[in-house]
Amino acid sequence: MAMINTEILVIGGGPAGLCAAAEAAEHGAKVLLVDDKDVLGGQLIKQTHRFFGSRQQYAGVRGIDIAKILIENAREFGVELTTGATATAIYGDGVVAAATDDGFLKVRPEKIIAATGAYENMLAFPNSDLPGVYGAGAVQTLMNVNGVAPGNRVLMIGAGNIGLIVAYQLLQAGIGVAAVIEITDRVGGYYVHANKIRRLGVPILLRHTVKYAWGGEGVEGAAIARVDERYRPIPGTERDLAVDTICLSVGLTPLTELLWNAGCGMKYIAQLGGHVAWHDENMRTSREDIYVAGDASGIEEASSAMIEGKVAGLNAAYALKRDIGLSKKNYEGCLEDYREQLCQLRRGPFGEKARRGKSALMGAPIPADRPIKSTPVPDEEFQKGARVVIECEQNIPCDPCEATCPHGAITVGEDMVNYPLLDAGKCNACGICVASCPGLALFVLNRDYSQTETEIILPYEFIPVPNKGDRVDACDREGNVVCRARVSRAVKSKKFDRTALVSLVVEDRYADVVRSFRISGIVPETGRIEKPDMSRVDEMDTIICVCEDVTRRRIEEAIDRDGAQSMDEIKRLLRCGMGPCQGKTCQRLIMQILAKKLNRNIEEFKPQTYRGPMKPVSLGLLAKADDEEEN
Amino acid sequence: MKKKTDVVIIGGGVIGTSIAYSLAKNGVTDVVLVERDTLSCGATGRCAGGIRQQWSEPSNVRLARASIEIFKNFREEMGRDIGLVEGGYLLCAHAEEEAERFRETVAMQRKVGADVRIVTPEEMRDIAPCLNTDGMILGAYCPDDCHADPFQVTQGYAENARRLGVDIELHTEVTEIRKKGKRVAAVVTNGGKIECNWVVNAAGGHSAEVGAMAGVDLPTKSYRHQIAVTEPIRRIQEPLIVDFYVNIYFCQTAHGSFMMGYGDEAEKPGHNVRGTWQFLEEISRRLTGLVPALKDISVVRQWAGLYNMSPDAQPILGRVSDEVENFICAVGFSGHGFMLAPITGVLMAELITYGETRTLPIDELSIKRFEGGVKSAEANVV
Amino acid sequence: MRRITEHPILTFEQGRKITFTFDGKTIEGREGDTIASALQAAGIRVYRESIEMHRPRGFFCAIGRCANCSMIVDGVPNTKVCVTRLREGVVVETQRGRGGVRRD
Repeated sequence: MAMINTEILVIGGGPAGLCAAAEAAEHGAKVLLVDDKDVLGGQLIKQTHRFFGSRQQYAGVRGIDIAKILIENAREFGVELTTGATATAIYGDGVVAAATDDGFLKVRPEKIIAATGAYENMLAFPNSDLPGVYGAGAVQTLMNVNGVAPGNRVLMIGAGNIGLIVAYQLLQAGIGVAAVIEITDRVGGYYVHANKIRRLGVPILLRHTVKYAWGGEGVEGAAIARVDERYRPIPGTERDLAVDTICLSVGLTPLTELLWNAGCGMKYIAQLGGHVAWHDENMRTSREDIYVAGDASGIEEASSAMIEGKVAGLNAAYALKRDIGLSKKNYEGCLEDYREQLCQLRRGPFGEKARRGKSALMGAPIPADRPIKSTPVPDEEFQKGARVVIECEQNIPCDPCEATCPHGAITVGEDMVNYPLLDAGKCNACGICVASCPGLALFVLNRDYSQTETEIILPYEFIPVPNKGDRVDACDREGNVVCRARVSRAVKSKKFDRTALVSLVVEDRYADVVRSFRISGIVPETGRIEKPDMSRVDEMDTIICVCEDVTRRRIEEAIDRDGAQSMDEIKRLLRCGMGPCQGKTCQRLIMQILAKKLNRNIEEFKPQTYRGPMKPVSLGLLAKADDEEEN
Repeated sequence: MKKKTDVVIIGGGVIGTSIAYSLAKNGVTDVVLVERDTLSCGATGRCAGGIRQQWSEPSNVRLARASIEIFKNFREEMGRDIGLVEGGYLLCAHAEEEAERFRETVAMQRKVGADVRIVTPEEMRDIAPCLNTDGMILGAYCPDDCHADPFQVTQGYAENARRLGVDIELHTEVTEIRKKGKRVAAVVTNGGKIECNWVVNAAGGHSAEVGAMAGVDLPTKSYRHQIAVTEPIRRIQEPLIVDFYVNIYFCQTAHGSFMMGYGDEAEKPGHNVRGTWQFLEEISRRLTGLVPALKDISVVRQWAGLYNMSPDAQPILGRVSDEVENFICAVGFSGHGFMLAPITGVLMAELITYGETRTLPIDELSIKRFEGGVKSAEANVV
Repeated sequence: MRRITEHPILTFEQGRKITFTFDGKTIEGREGDTIASALQAAGIRVYRESIEMHRPRGFFCAIGRCANCSMIVDGVPNTKVCVTRLREGVVVETQRGRGGVRRD
């Protein structure tokens, strides 16, 4: 296929890539964006929840809708968008190759922006290779893109934001979630996300791990156990769950093969999810023609990815040889604005990882976080009348409540990570903020509903929405049914964007207890457990490399007996990483085994030497290529 | 790391480890092998693993024949499966001139004892049913030839050498070779100095650099040589096929992957081992032309290694200069070092242990053969 | 497994029916499906047997990276069905161990 010349090539059409491409094109650069999927938007196309962050990054809008906005933007500024094209290598002559259905594309860009995203970490346990063990991203794709249920009852592993969000989305799709388990002693994701599923009755079990799964042709159950302080299962705490699906949400690793391949300087930064390309504040790597943005430069939220994309796009455009008409003043103005936005998003406790990670990467001091205002203590006044209650427990960078309140009753202020403050005098309990909060953490309480009753307005994102007059089971924050409640109102309004507002009337004593409800008769299924004899299950038989069927035992033997001390040596001895997945599934696990067995830090281990093509490309397709130049 | 030893071997590829093992087997166990990175990280780990007797130079045929015997007994002797595919080698001739050359070399090879024969295109299709023989006049087929996994062979040599007492020091780079009069006295590495009685240069693609450290000007030059490999499929091809006319060789490994490469005349000497997109496209065109059934099969990786070329494409073995009596070279294998490694190990070990080779003479492969220019070069290099 | 027909946030258009075969059996999918999602909707979870230990394997990453879902599609082995659009009449087969070449 012909050689394509372009000024800027953006690899990846997720939030970072789309923003990078639009930014560069807006300033006058000729931009080509390639993405391996047939739909642009990256992970956004699976995100049915409203986003946190600031209005500039579409806070309060659902991911699926943000994708549409970003694609439209890029198109409007004249970015050439090529879907179904997987970049397979960055060659020594500066050519980037990409495989499409029709041929082997070669692009010769002046600048490259790698916005290749991340891939999901694998967790290996006996039978983790069984069908029914899925990545959280896969579950989202199946459920939210294809409209197919991944299973009937799911065990979610990992209580980070993705695990919590996907658990909620499973429930929305009518799929049971047996539990969310988390090996550490804390919920890693936003508490508001955790609360959303807790009040629907899903237990979040901290300090728990999965010991093994069982099943013939697919998962039929899983054994979980509590762990001690060194994350080892505690004997006697084992518990069986009847589940047909195990969803893994145990973190992401930046997808950096192309950057390794291009010879960019790489550094292991735990806070950023693994090895990332060294880059400066302008998102430029150690190679002056290659920029990075988004998860590929360190795992963060999509909102940060968008701004990093803009920074990369702006800088790549400004660095072009041709004068594209971007003045120094304009460039500096934009850059300052974006840097300030990034700084805002990285504030507070959830921004700490990114702050520390990026500082470690750039060798810069960790920027001091500005003081955060503490949560307001409800006063006497608060306990009366009808007004919103804000159960926002953490300093999340987010402001849709402030943005949507028509009465100016909620103030977050310039620092998005601050808790929202309510001016009770201005709140008329309209409920608009209830429908806008991405964390569903706002509720309206009308304590004056009647002499003995309180009316609670709850956000509700399930079907069916009950009708006025229906009786439902009112639940507390843990999902326990505490009383019966009457539905006094159910509002489905276009302006609430698919979040219904359901008003329940409960006795006053439940006013601060009830935060959710269940339509009577729908009881979560517990499932019958039929378990084969698993007494001989051996952790050493766990398949680590699924391409080549390599067990933990063989890897440990290669280390103990053959003296392997690196990923490359294990690859040569056992073929791990030589299979079609090119180590994406096993590599991190093997580096963990190496680190543990050799008593070294994981950051001391380099990934295998990455070699193109990063994705298998058929000989027939490669043979079709011809070498015409095209502009 | 030892401060003093009998023999220092420079290079942890298949040649270095083979020599180490053979020395230890001869009872010379006070040996330190130094490797600047990891085992097989250079040309060994980057080669396709072919093992053939079909060479144009009788000395190469002899060495290869001796090596094949060792490869075939490797598992028994070393206790390691080396992924040996005993599928033979099939060489394809397109032009009458090439066919004539095949007839001549086959006659020579048979004289040396190799079981090689000329086959018709029809027989070629019996041997390799997926091969498109259009335009081919004949083939040269040696069923005794084979191919194996270079990593496993090197690992087998290394672990057995270690078992017999050899020290293998990885991540140890030689920075200097110190001489005393006409002898090497010590090898200096980033891990310290080792005094020694013998130094063996088995540095593959970096043989000339190591030679220079000892004050020897070796006539070897390294050239990039690219390879691509596919995902594994069920076995459809036994022999390793070489087509000089199309300029390609390819085999299906024991694991099922197709591995293929070709030599590029335009390559300049150097140490560049980056792959190119041009190679990837070109090898795909050549391979799917010869084996159309592979068009749906995908390439999963491409890489490059170095051919350490000698002026006549045959190895340089033994002492290389009267100025350094105890500096032994096993270099310049010109792309066929893997297959010659077993016998090279035996011969170099004999040279050090007994002061002379016993299994085969190596006079023809002495550096002295280049005095007065190259007389006869190996023609069957791809 | 089943299709999600009602959802509080998303609307899934029940696209045109597409018939295809899986190991000789006729299966119905929908326009917009990948081969993997159509199989999953039909309750089929095993897509291949692994190359050495012949263990059942199926869908895992859904983005064409892990190769766990490699199947034989219209005779072509190692096809990642999680990123292959469903086409009318496509012949899908379980890949047992290594795939073979198509002999036309």
